[in-house]
Amino acid sequence: MLALLSATTLVLVAGVPWMLPAAAGGTNLKSPQNVEVYIVDDTFILRWNRSSPSVRNVTFSADYQIHENGAWLQLPGCQSVASTECNFSSVKLNVYEEIKLRIRAKEGNNTSPWRYVDSFTLFEKAQIGPPKVHLEAEDKAIIVNISPPGTKGGGMWASDSSGFIYSLDIWKNSSSGERKTKTVYSRDKIYELSPETTYCLKVRARLLPRKTGAYSPVYCIKTAVENKLPPPENIQVEAKNQTYILKWDYAQENVTFHAQWLHAYLKKIPGDNSGKWKQIPNCKNVRTTQCVFPKNTFHKGIYLIRVRASDGNTTSVWSHEEKFDTQLQITLFPPVITMKPTNNASLRVYISAPGESENKPVNHLYPLIYEIVFWENTSNAERKILEKRTDFTFPQLKPLTVYCVKARALLQDERWNKSSVFSDIVCEKTKPGNTSKTWLIAGVCAALFSIPVVIYVMKLLFRCISYVFFPSSKPPSTIDEYFSEQPLRNLLLFTSEELTERCFIIENTNTITAVEETNQTDGEHKKYSSQTSQDSGNYSNEDESTGSKFSEEFLHQETE
Amino acid sequence: MTSRYILQTALLVYFSTTVLAMNYNLLRFQLSSSSVECQELLLQLNGTSKDCLKDRMNFKIPEEIQKSQKFQKEDIVLVTLEMFQKTSDIFRRNLSSMGWNESIVENLLATLHWQKEHLEEILEDIMQEENFTWDHRTLLHLKRYYLRIVRYLKAKEFSVCAWTIVQAEILKSFFFLDKLIDSLPN
Repeated sequence: MLALLSATTLVLVAGVPWMLPAAAGGTNLKSPQNVEVYIVDDTFILRWNRSSPSVRNVTFSADYQIHENGAWLQLPGCQSVASTECNFSSVKLNVYEEIKLRIRAKEGNNTSPWRYVDSFTLFEKAQIGPPKVHLEAEDKAIIVNISPPGTKGGGMWASDSSGFIYSLDIWKNSSSGERKTKTVYSRDKIYELSPETTYCLKVRARLLPRKTGAYSPVYCIKTAVENKLPPPENIQVEAKNQTYILKWDYAQENVTFHAQWLHAYLKKIPGDNSGKWKQIPNCKNVRTTQCVFPKNTFHKGIYLIRVRASDGNTTSVWSHEEKFDTQLQITLFPPVITMKPTNNASLRVYISAPGESENKPVNHLYPLIYEIVFWENTSNAERKILEKRTDFTFPQLKPLTVYCVKARALLQDERWNKSSVFSDIVCEKTKPGNTSKTWLIAGVCAALFSIPVVIYVMKLLFRCISYVFFPSSKPPSTIDEYFSEQPLRNLLLFTSEELTERCFIIENTNTITAVEETNQTDGEHKKYSSQTSQDSGNYSNEDESTGSKFSEEFLHQETE
Repeated sequence: MTSRYILQTALLVYFSTTVLAMNYNLLRFQLSSSSVECQELLLQLNGTSKDCLKDRMNFKIPEEIQKSQKFQKEDIVLVTLEMFQKTSDIFRRNLSSMGWNESIVENLLATLHWQKEHLEEILEDIMQEENFTWDHRTLLHLKRYYLRIVRYLKAKEFSVCAWTIVQAEILKSFFFLDKLIDSLPN
C-alpha cells in the first residue's frame, strides 16, 4: 500500500514538468500584459506589453464578445499582429453596448493563455478628438465655423454631436496677448476685436458630464480694415405691458436699421443656418435706435437678435447676436405688507401678492422668497432677513416702540437674480410687554421647588400619626444613654419577663397560713421576722400583687 | 440684550442656509412646467387615421427610469438633460411625411432647448463645486434607448406610422420624466 502510494507520487512528480510544457507547447509563453483600450473619436486601438521582451517570432491575436456567454468573434485588424498595438476601428459595434476583449500571444504552435479585458463600452472609453475650425474675418469680429469631431453623420458621436459645447481660446498674436476663453456655438462670431490685427485661436469640444476633448491646432487670422459703417452696439430688450422694446446704440445719424431674430437651438445644429434668420415685425428700415414689437412674436424660449445699419449706399455688418431669454423678462411685483402688534411686544407680519396683476399669471406660480428689511423707526440700524413664509412674527421686541418694515420679492435662485422693487414701508408700534412669561417661569420653578417640600411635610405627618396611633414598644434611645447597667434597667423598666428567684421559707406552714389571712402587709413583716439568719431573701417587686401571688403559689405548693 | 441678538442672528443664518439649499425648488418648478408644455405641444401634433398597430415596437425604456429608482439630485439633472437633448434631436429629423404644423414643432424644439440650456448651466455649477461620481450606467442605458428610437425611424424611412409610434413613445418617456422631476428634493 505504502509502496503503491510512493510510486504514484514519484510518477506524478516526474510527470508534471513533462506534461505542462506539452500543454504550453514546449516553452512557457506568457500572455500579454497591461492591455489597454485607447479610443479617440472613431479610432479604436488596443495596446499591450510583451510579457518577455525578446526578439522571438511572437504574434498576437484578439477576440471580442458582445453578449455574456456568447461566441468569441475575431477582432478585425487584430489578428496575428507582430507589434504591440492594433487598430480595430472597422468593427461594427454599437458604441453603447458592453463588450469584452481577450488577447493572447502565439509563437509557432504555442499559444499563451488568454488575457481578458474587463467589460466596457466603446463610448465610455472614447476621448473627444480635436474639432475642425474654419475662420472668416470681419473688421472687428471673426466668424468661427466649427465642425464637430469624429466622422460626419456617424461614428462615435453620432447621437451626441448636437450636445457638444465648444470652448475657444483667443489671443493677439503680437505681444504677450492675454488669452480669453469663451463658450461658442458651432457657428459663432467673436466680437470686440481690433481691426487689422492678427488673432490666434484654438477650440476644443466638451460633452457633459465629464468628457473634455483635445484642442484643435492653432489657427491665426488677421481682421479686416475698419468699416465705415459700424454695426449697432449694446442691444437690449425690455418688456413692457404686451410688447417688447428692442433698443441699441448707434453713433451716426441718418441711418436705417434692420433687426432679425433666430431660434437659438438652430445654432446648436452644425451646418449653415444663415437662411433661417427671420424678420422682427416693425423693425425693418426704422430710423430710431429702437423698435417695438408684440410679445406673442416669441414663444417661450431662447432667441438671438441681431441688428444692422444702412445708410442707403452701404450696409454695416451684422451686430453682435444678442441672446434673448423670454423667461428672464418676467417682472416681479412688490408684495403688500400688513403688520399687527401682538401680545408680549411682538409684531406679526403678513405678506401678500399685489391685488391686481396684469399679465404673466405665471409670476404667482414661481417660487418666491421675500427679502425683509426691518428697523426701529428711531434708529438707522437695519436688519435684513430672507423669508419664505408669508405669515411670521418678530418676537421679543422692545415694548411701546415703533418698528418699520419693507419687503421685496426674489426669485428663489440666485442665478436668476430677479427681484421686485421694494414694497411700501409699513410701521407699527408694539404693545406693552406683559410679564406673563416671567410669571409663568416663576410659577414653574415654584412648583418644582415645592414638590420636595410637600414630600417632606407628608413624611413628618405620617411620622406623627404613626407615633400617636401606632406606638412602638421600643424605649426612647435617651434611656439607653443614661442607664447602661443591666440591673438598674431591670428595676426601672417594665419587662414582660419577671425576674424571680426561688426562695424557700424554712418555717411551720400553719403559722404561715394564719399569718396570711391577716393583713397582708403585716403578714409580710411577720414572715420576715420569723426568718432565720439563713435568709435566702424573699424579694418582692414593686407590684404588690405579684408579691401576694408568689406567696399564694407557695401555699399551693405546700398543701399539695 | 445679547440673547435677543443671538436669536436674530441665528434666524438669519438659518434662513440663509435654507435659501442656498432651495436651488432645486426653482429648477423643479421650471422642469415641471417645461415638461407640461412639451407634452401639450406633442399632443397638438396631428395623429393619423392610418392603422399603425403592426409597426408597434418595444423600445425598452431603461429600467432605472421606469421604476423611478432613487437618484441623487445631480444625477436627476443629468438624466433630464439627456432626455430633453435626445428628444430635441429626434424632432429635428425628417418630419416631412407627417405634415405637422411647423410652428408647433418649432415651439416644441424651442421649449426643449430652453430647458436644456438652463440644465446645462446648473450642471456646470455642479461640476465646479464638487467631484461628484456620476451614474454613468443609467446615462448609457438612456443613450441606448434613444439610439433604438432613431434606428427604428431610419429603418422605417421616417414613415407616417413610424412617427406616430415614436410620438407615442416620447409622450410615454415624458410621463416617466415627470416622476423623476417630482423626486427632486426640496
